[in-house]
Amino acid sequence: MATTSYTPEALPRPRRSIVPAGVLQWLTWALVVCLVLGPFLPLAYASLRDRPLYESGGVFTAQSYRELFGDRAFWHAWWNTVQFAALTTVMAVALGAAVAILCARTDLPWRRTFTKFVLLPVLLPSLGMVLGWIAVWGEGGYVTSFFNQRLHIGVPAINTIFGMALVEATRLMPIAFLTCQAALVRADSSLEDAARSAGATPLRVLRSITIPMLRPALLNSATLIFTLSIAVLGIPLLLGVPNNIQFVSSYLYTLWTNATSPDPGTVSAGAMLLLFAATLLLVVRNRLLGAEERFVSVGGKASRVALLSLGGWRWPLAALITAYLTFATLLPILGLALMSFVVFLTPLIAPWDLLTWSHWQMLDDGIFRNSIQNSLIIAVVGAVLATAFVTLATLVAHRSPFRLRRTLPFVMLYPRAIPGIIIGIGFFWAFLLTGALGDWFRNSIWGIMLAFCIRNLPLAYIVMYPTLARIGEELDRAGRAAGAGWWTTSRRIVLPLLRPAMFAAFILLFVELLNDYDPAVFLVKPGTEVMGATMLSQFIQGAVGPVAALAMVQVGLTVVVLAVGSRVFNINTTGGHDA
Amino acid sequence: MPEITVDGLVKSFGDQRALDSVDFTVADGELFTLLGPSGCGKSTTLMSIAGFQHPEEGRIRVGDETVFDAEKRIALPAEHRNLGIVFQSYAVWPHMTVYENLAFPLKVRRLKRGEIRSRIAKTLELVEMTPYEKRYPHELSGGQQQRVALARALVYSPSVLLLDEPFSNLDAKLRIRARSWVKDLQHQLGLTTIFVTHDQDEALSMSDRVAVMRAGEIQQIGGPEDVYHRPSNRFVAEFVGRVNLFEGVVAGVDGGHAVLELDGSPRRLTVPTAEGARVSDRVTVVVRPEAMTLLADGDTSANGTNTWDVDVHSAAFLGDHYEYELEAGALNLIAQSSRPVDGSRVRVHIPEDACSMVQ
Repeated sequence: MATTSYTPEALPRPRRSIVPAGVLQWLTWALVVCLVLGPFLPLAYASLRDRPLYESGGVFTAQSYRELFGDRAFWHAWWNTVQFAALTTVMAVALGAAVAILCARTDLPWRRTFTKFVLLPVLLPSLGMVLGWIAVWGEGGYVTSFFNQRLHIGVPAINTIFGMALVEATRLMPIAFLTCQAALVRADSSLEDAARSAGATPLRVLRSITIPMLRPALLNSATLIFTLSIAVLGIPLLLGVPNNIQFVSSYLYTLWTNATSPDPGTVSAGAMLLLFAATLLLVVRNRLLGAEERFVSVGGKASRVALLSLGGWRWPLAALITAYLTFATLLPILGLALMSFVVFLTPLIAPWDLLTWSHWQMLDDGIFRNSIQNSLIIAVVGAVLATAFVTLATLVAHRSPFRLRRTLPFVMLYPRAIPGIIIGIGFFWAFLLTGALGDWFRNSIWGIMLAFCIRNLPLAYIVMYPTLARIGEELDRAGRAAGAGWWTTSRRIVLPLLRPAMFAAFILLFVELLNDYDPAVFLVKPGTEVMGATMLSQFIQGAVGPVAALAMVQVGLTVVVLAVGSRVFNINTTGGHDA
Repeated sequence: MPEITVDGLVKSFGDQRALDSVDFTVADGELFTLLGPSGCGKSTTLMSIAGFQHPEEGRIRVGDETVFDAEKRIALPAEHRNLGIVFQSYAVWPHMTVYENLAFPLKVRRLKRGEIRSRIAKTLELVEMTPYEKRYPHELSGGQQQRVALARALVYSPSVLLLDEPFSNLDAKLRIRARSWVKDLQHQLGLTTIFVTHDQDEALSMSDRVAVMRAGEIQQIGGPEDVYHRPSNRFVAEFVGRVNLFEGVVAGVDGGHAVLELDGSPRRLTVPTAEGARVSDRVTVVVRPEAMTLLADGDTSANGTNTWDVDVHSAAFLGDHYEYELEAGALNLIAQSSRPVDGSRVRVHIPEDACSMVQ
């Protein structure tokens, strides 16, 4: 073969980009840190001042903390909260793990369908679902009276701590389900096959192999569910307070909204304590888990070949899960729908005698119409912005040479552990202290959007990261070697491959931003109402019908968007490129 | 035309030394191989040249340009080094067609559309992939993806080509074909190339020169035959091919020969002493299994020196030859032969010139 002398031709050198990659990475990092951690500084400051920050003057003092610690009601609220959170955690984890094992490792009929529907409650608007529970399981609810009066079987009241934990457990159970299911799908089922070959019965395999393998997943979901349930606001406000049961969140909410003597300092102090507890739980959780355990992708994979034959238990167990889904998800939604169409809801009078359109007609007007519009704008704009922002931050965190990149995952996951009301109070003070910019945020829906986005940042990251981790790093190195800088490589090579995850993040963010409410209760003003906050305030004022109609709007939008989204998303993941 | 000079690279991960003062120079047009087990630092060296890792000490020059100098704080970003690289996974971008994959580096360099088209056509012809230009990577076989990866690394006429274990994802037959194809292409272009592999067959068959690495240090640099027949130490001898090792003490020196008393055996081994071993030195001698001669009964062609009667422990038929594990007292030997041996004892001859002393 003839040797032609090879000369590297002097092609034009690759152009350097206008914005240096380093500057872009610094800006992204600084913005994430400021937005996530920023609101807590004013919160801490407010808790240490002797008067609200909007009044002039003031000195540093620990007075608020002293008042709080001296208040027996506060300690009582803590005790209620801890009992509630512990009960919720136990029930949600037990149920979630059991259903996950049944769906991922047995020949349970309809297990694929169950896998989809079991996830629904965590995505449905939580306030609306509580209303639905009240409609069917409340004191005068349909199911309750049917059981009590026709069958003479007592059902637990849902306005007790145990009852509230039951309601919350059905909402958070999908978290345990998802974590366990992901662990089961990841775990090599040949470990279980080996135990079968060694002579163990299926039940023995379950007890000695499967469940011990799930231990990290159980621990992980238990800490997360506990953290989420100490912060819940809607349940104590709608169920507990009418029955004189206060949680920390409702205690702070009442203190804040109490028109006669609002006490922002004490509320801020209480929020700081809650923040401390939540952060402590997060640290514990990180200690307990390896890094990768925290990143459980939403959306189950196809289950494996059934391992354990349930035999005669197949149909009874399937019936049991169906009954659970019916009573805990379907009936509350139906109850909510009915509530929105009748003058008032009672099992004593046939509903068709009370039919009315008036609740739905009210939605076209005033505060309700405003809320729907604002919520939709926030959901669309917020989901687009947050998806773009989290994508950029995830790229900096995992695909850049930026020096402080390792701090980003932790900062981005932090809001997941923070109660929504704390984020609300924090942003309230932050806007108050940042002059004209803060005023603009405070007086428009964008302030609420910002708070919602920060709160749901972790969700987008959790969806994004596993996909990014699957895109081989050599792909972007090849781009760099070919002469493209960091930004060009990210834009032309990594982002197109990340598109399915970005779309999934957008859908989830849209749903969450549409239904979120607790950061908003401290930020709403006339004109900036959002659906969740309006439902809460109107329900407390007794306007149950229109609130139910509003909740139905949320449920309807959520279900449609998720159905469309999951359809497109599924096509993308299975037909797409697996890098 | 560029030569590559790597000078005193040091890199640590935690307290682990990944590179410990690595030096070498690759001549213009040469195919230079970094060979070693996983974790020996060969990939770290390559990635340092490519600009994806930054050593703590050392200098790297490509032609007249210093691309890295730890002392002067020079570290040219990877995208400005103008090197072609083929990764182990090929890293062919899955969302682009073959054409788009090749067009990317040219677009980044702002070439005119016509020139992009003609360059891609020329390069695809070179790697015999012209009919596939509209295909997506998942529609190609592993071997074809590898050609695309190579074409993409060549299309912008880089000054140097870097190959990071490019054959490890191919099946055994394809691997041997790809080897000679890449070697021919490299030779035809005369392109300075650094090749990283853990496979000694690849290294020996393709390279102009081989550097054997271990634990971040270069053990030996030399032509494939040097490295195989005259390993500088025990590690190189054992890593590059199979080997019989004899350890012992020099009992006597006579002219160009030394006689060893072997450890754990009354037998003696006569070896050539180029380096001038002295009496009572401890030495290690290596002999390749194919250099051992198994004598037929009554064959007296070899005289008494280094000819032993040994037990046959096991025999394996490997298609083109037989391999025997032999026992001479406490010594275990491997020998290869093209003909079968009957019985449980055999005479083996170790030719003097097949013995080489290592440290």
